[in-house]
Amino acid sequence: MRQLDTEVLVIGGGATGAGVLRDLAMRGFEAVLVERRDLTYGTTGRFHGLLHSGGRYAVKDPGAARECIQENRILRRIMPHCIEDTGGFFVCTPWDDPGYADSFLEGCRVAGILVEEAPIGRMLAEEPLLDPQISRCFRVPDAAVDSFAAAHANVASAREYKADIFTYYEVIRLLTEGGGRRTAVSDRSSAVVGALCHDLVKDEQVAIHADLVVNAAGAWAGKIGASAGVEIAIRPGKGAMIAVSQRIVNTVINRCKMPSDGDILVPAHTVAVMGTTDVQVPDPDSFAIEPWEVQLLLEEGEKIIPGFKEMRMLRAWAGVRPLYQETRAEDSRDITRSFVLLDHQERDGVSGLITITSGKWTTYRKMAEATVDLVCEKLGVKRECRTHLEVLQAKDSRQRTVDCRRSSVDRGLPRYHLLGERLARIEKHEAYGQLICECELAAHADVERTITEGEAKTLDDIRRDVRLGMGPCQGGFCTLRAAGILHQLTVDSGLCTVEETNAALRDFLEERWKGILPVLWGKQLQQERLNELIYVNVLDVEHLPGPRASRLAAQPYALTPSPRPAGHPPSPLPELALSEAEGLGEGKGGGGGRGEGVVVIGAGLAGLTAAWRASQNGRRAKVIAKGWGATHWGSGCIDVLGYHPIGAREPVANPEEDVQRLIKENPEHPYALIGLEELHEALSAFQELCRESGYPLSGALDRNWLLPSAAGAVRPTCLAPETMFAGDLHSDEPMLIVGFEGYHDFFPHFAAANLKAQGFEARAVTIELPSLQSRRRVDTMTLGRSFDLEVFRAEVAEAVKPHLGDAARLGFPAVLGLKNPIGALRDLESRLGRRIFETPGLPPSVPGIRLHNLLVKAIQEAGGSVYNGMEVTGAITDDRNQPAVSRQPSAGGGRIEAVQTESASRFALHAAQEFILATGGFLGGGVKTYSNGYAQEMAFDLPLYSLTQSEQRFQATFLHPEGQPVFRFGARVEADLRAGYENLYIVGSALTGDFLRERSLEGVALVSGYAAGKNVGAK
Amino acid sequence: MTSPSHPSPRIPELTLDQCIKCNICVSACPVVAVEDRFPGPKYAGPQAGRFRGARQPSPDRSVDFCSGCRVCNMVCPNGVKIAEMNARARRDIVASGKVPFVQRLRNNLIARTELLGNLAQPIAPIANILLSNSIIRGITESTLSIAKDAYFPPFAPQRFSRWWRETRKPVSRRNLVSRQHPKNKIRVHPRSSASHVVFFHGCATEYYEPHVGRAAIHILEANGFEVIIPPQNCCGLPLLSNGEFQAARRYHENNVRSLAPYARRGIPITGTSTSCTLTLKEEAPELLDMHDEDTRLVAEHTYDFHEFLLQLLDIGKLVTENLSPIPLRLGYHQPCQYRAHRIGSPALEIMRLIPELQIVESHADCCGIAGTYGYKKEKYEISMAVGQPLFDFVLDVGGPMAVCDSETCRWQITHGTGMPSIHPVELLAAAYGFEPEGALAEVLHHQLSLKV
Repeated sequence: MRQLDTEVLVIGGGATGAGVLRDLAMRGFEAVLVERRDLTYGTTGRFHGLLHSGGRYAVKDPGAARECIQENRILRRIMPHCIEDTGGFFVCTPWDDPGYADSFLEGCRVAGILVEEAPIGRMLAEEPLLDPQISRCFRVPDAAVDSFAAAHANVASAREYKADIFTYYEVIRLLTEGGGRRTAVSDRSSAVVGALCHDLVKDEQVAIHADLVVNAAGAWAGKIGASAGVEIAIRPGKGAMIAVSQRIVNTVINRCKMPSDGDILVPAHTVAVMGTTDVQVPDPDSFAIEPWEVQLLLEEGEKIIPGFKEMRMLRAWAGVRPLYQETRAEDSRDITRSFVLLDHQERDGVSGLITITSGKWTTYRKMAEATVDLVCEKLGVKRECRTHLEVLQAKDSRQRTVDCRRSSVDRGLPRYHLLGERLARIEKHEAYGQLICECELAAHADVERTITEGEAKTLDDIRRDVRLGMGPCQGGFCTLRAAGILHQLTVDSGLCTVEETNAALRDFLEERWKGILPVLWGKQLQQERLNELIYVNVLDVEHLPGPRASRLAAQPYALTPSPRPAGHPPSPLPELALSEAEGLGEGKGGGGGRGEGVVVIGAGLAGLTAAWRASQNGRRAKVIAKGWGATHWGSGCIDVLGYHPIGAREPVANPEEDVQRLIKENPEHPYALIGLEELHEALSAFQELCRESGYPLSGALDRNWLLPSAAGAVRPTCLAPETMFAGDLHSDEPMLIVGFEGYHDFFPHFAAANLKAQGFEARAVTIELPSLQSRRRVDTMTLGRSFDLEVFRAEVAEAVKPHLGDAARLGFPAVLGLKNPIGALRDLESRLGRRIFETPGLPPSVPGIRLHNLLVKAIQEAGGSVYNGMEVTGAITDDRNQPAVSRQPSAGGGRIEAVQTESASRFALHAAQEFILATGGFLGGGVKTYSNGYAQEMAFDLPLYSLTQSEQRFQATFLHPEGQPVFRFGARVEADLRAGYENLYIVGSALTGDFLRERSLEGVALVSGYAAGKNVGAK
Repeated sequence: MTSPSHPSPRIPELTLDQCIKCNICVSACPVVAVEDRFPGPKYAGPQAGRFRGARQPSPDRSVDFCSGCRVCNMVCPNGVKIAEMNARARRDIVASGKVPFVQRLRNNLIARTELLGNLAQPIAPIANILLSNSIIRGITESTLSIAKDAYFPPFAPQRFSRWWRETRKPVSRRNLVSRQHPKNKIRVHPRSSASHVVFFHGCATEYYEPHVGRAAIHILEANGFEVIIPPQNCCGLPLLSNGEFQAARRYHENNVRSLAPYARRGIPITGTSTSCTLTLKEEAPELLDMHDEDTRLVAEHTYDFHEFLLQLLDIGKLVTENLSPIPLRLGYHQPCQYRAHRIGSPALEIMRLIPELQIVESHADCCGIAGTYGYKKEKYEISMAVGQPLFDFVLDVGGPMAVCDSETCRWQITHGTGMPSIHPVELLAAAYGFEPEGALAEVLHHQLSLKV
């Protein structure tokens, strides 16, 4: 066991611990801080980010109010770079007691909080989304803080004063002495002499001896104290918060009423955080969010901002307030919000231990000051606190000087953080080609620095440092990138094996998932489906070697359901249900005369295939789509059946056999409805089309290819373009994986290491090309277009040649040209004398775009047309009892006469003989879900079914082998793919079943599109 | 979820919620394909949009390279209003005073087509010589950053509105009795609104190509409409796409004031310039946050010219008998601003009515000019590179001319290929038997002489 000695040991790397450490170090103590995870992993990293003016406590807790405003002023001075000076409003909504405003004003006056009443017009000019029914508005000096940055700044300052911090050091127990050995609980004369810790990274125990231990473990302080036999009555109070995906307010909004649930809306960086609930929990590790909490926050949000419920929610999380109470109180919000400092020698007769707990983020510095004052007293020295005098330095990459800083600098005002700083920095350096997390604008260098210079040990630590993965896509694009960088930086030093990188990647996906889980509806659900397409279907990270989760993984939530407090309405059970019919009212007439053709709704693989097949029979096909479809996201291969059943460990070797089995097991599967024969026909007809278009797809139904993904996983697929099948892993020929310097979507060393770990011979090289170095942006499309040029291919070949070695084949990202990929492939192969293959990765998918383009061309050449920008919003049916435009399918299976689309300033109608719905279900946006649990098919309001019964809609993990049950819902069809109406056919992912997990996404799209196109054509 | 009036959310920025970061827009953007200084629609719109705050200085620079072609909006599977977000971000750059003086001056010059027309058209012969003089263009490039090679169409010898006043006897309008709008001097017949139509000619028809307007008037009158041309300003789109929102607002307010009385009576408003009609329908109200009743009425009553004809066709009221054949094979490019109406391609469907006319459809994304974009020195080359696939298409289809609905696109096609280009309405007017003008006249006469 390792031993360490120090003067003072601080337990807990939250705001308080970091503040105490800095204060100790500044007063000349030798100090060490241990944190069981990363800094701010606990409550500090899970609060709403409000720097209180004190207004919130003005009436209820004047002492706390006074403390808040004093500290507010100090923090603005010492850490302006962590603070955004948003100001705050207290607003009286129609739901609030109008009498409270006057006591609020009086309370503020007494506490010394500067408050002014703002006219409602002025309020709305500043915050146009606020409810215009708000009757009064008061401006206070609230602000938004970045608690990550603040803790880092404190720790950095402490380090300069020679303090040490150890993260991922979990305290096992306090070390105590008394009569020369560890003492019993009852011994009143024991002494704490340090702590025994578990170093999670090295997986070893470390004993840290100290003259004095400061227990700053927040909500966990009770657990720490208990290990030394000291009882600290912490009552963990869980507070749930929800983040709106964009910053809908630029001012902190408080309801002007007695502090209660869901009455604060804080602009925090790019999002707005709505908080909070207050639930007493037995265990501080109880972070799980209950559905009623989410509903409550939505409903309360709606009272501040009309339309709040309809906005996209990014994530929900909970922090656990460390509320301290010697005697019991009924509602934890009534417990004082002032802090508690316990001298255990005095209180419990246990020397060497001080506990600082409770309090608020806003008063962390004052808590630290009081703590260290006591430390001085204990250690018999007299040193003055200076933490309020010395300004904390902005060291973090986030706080670089930027040109958008206001002239406040010139006026001698604090240089507060501004929302636009990151964008301004990227813009100034034209660094948009360097982005790793595109949502939060975290650049490559930022991520690299957190790994090489900082303490980042997991992707989640990188997130806390640079906000990686905190935007709307929640890691959809940056998880692979960050893992690739982590691998590249750590593999040579032996810090991390590829298995560990894979585990880190999966950890991060799961960490993001648990916060998204409570808000999975609407766009966030669609986003998750896209992320699933990327990580499960295309990259196949679930089958990458290594443990499913690492030791450092964020801990799963302790699922102890909190009892619902009285007075809250019962939450609607989040079950899939049919939405209520929404009549659209009278539509505009017309549309006759030209409706002889087939209208296909949706331009993914299914829709385009259907339109192409229909036009083969001489039918005029018109594709109308809101935008382009999943072709642009997928692998560009045709997966017919990859894993059967879903969650099987081994990939399907012979899809034909397993399809036959599937047909027997599941007679409603699209393959069963359409039949094996038609599947053969559809595949060969499509292969024929691709061949004629100069982009042949190879493969056959009786054998799956095993092709490497961009992450180095082994993907089973049935048909692959010629640009890919040289990568087939049935062959053991050695591979060289080639990446490009400056291209952040593909990490050759990561992919090669994974292939190697699975027993394939693979090496990697990243080539530097002068023609790319001069570019500001090297993305997939840049490369795709560059490979169309012979001069570029020549340059690539020259750069790769010295690295060929024994490689028999070369793997590239899937970017080998858009116009003539086969020509580009042949050209490269002849230049290099090796076979070459592409590996599919992050969207946009160049191979998918090739399929899209050739299908669109085939439709247009056959006299059909493809229109985008048109969203179908309803239909006209022949049922005269229905309103002219209705979403309700007529019971008798009537006919659709026209569909209605949104157009500039009015609706447009599209009449046809037959309609094919190919809107892609959850992924494509054809099915929309709502916060109340409803799911709706958007064009015709078709009923949605799932063929398998499941209790829940979601799994606790993102990568659960069985997939998320919700995605099995879809439209149920007759044998000829019709549903609801006699002239409506449903194809592709709009059908019921989870084809993404089955790895039959393209197969189902293709065969159902083909069959429907044939059926309509036959009429 | 949708309301019968209009389904779009009113604040374009709020649609960034809909973005799932899928990169479809990046793969389709014609500017990003040729210019690295533009980081792409996803970055410029929904990503950067999260870092733009109402009460802080604009952090933007690169968004200025967005041409506003709206291809991103069209391909987006989630309805993110990227182009609008970009336009409003540019407004904030302009408002924060970050646009260099010369560029701002230049933008204000080329975006004020109406002012330019009013000043230069009366001296058309001189103005045309000056605009085509390479020395003068060299000077305007070095002093005003107006690309010296960009094509300026010649001013017409006579304005469209003048022709209108001179050829249509005021009698017909004096017959329009009854109510008078307090703000202007328009009289409308109260009972027969169905047979009236308002024509919005736009600046191109007014100052440069009055023959396009004449062709439209001929067709409308041949279909029994009484055409009304109320006083009108520039639609304001050039100003909107240069971030000069205040000036654009004045124009649009004037137009709404002038057009609303007709819209209120249910009289349709139609125009041959697809970008003007789009601006009236959607761009101006959305970008300028104008959501009042009159603006909405005007928007709802505005139709693209061929959209209007197609509606007539659908109810059997478009004259389609005895159309003269036009035995030509022509390449047709539907402009981005036309696609953005999201109504399919009505012009194509109307042209298909013309016997013997063979239309080859272009599937190129954008001509590159994007209104005033291609006139700027720093963007001229981008504009030409964006247009290259279209130029290739036009040259590939071959002469004698190309067909395109939007004026600046037509000029760009002519500039990029050397081939004349005409508006589809000219073809229909010729098929109706009206005397063709301009490039079409030459071609048809030449054909006629060949036949003879």
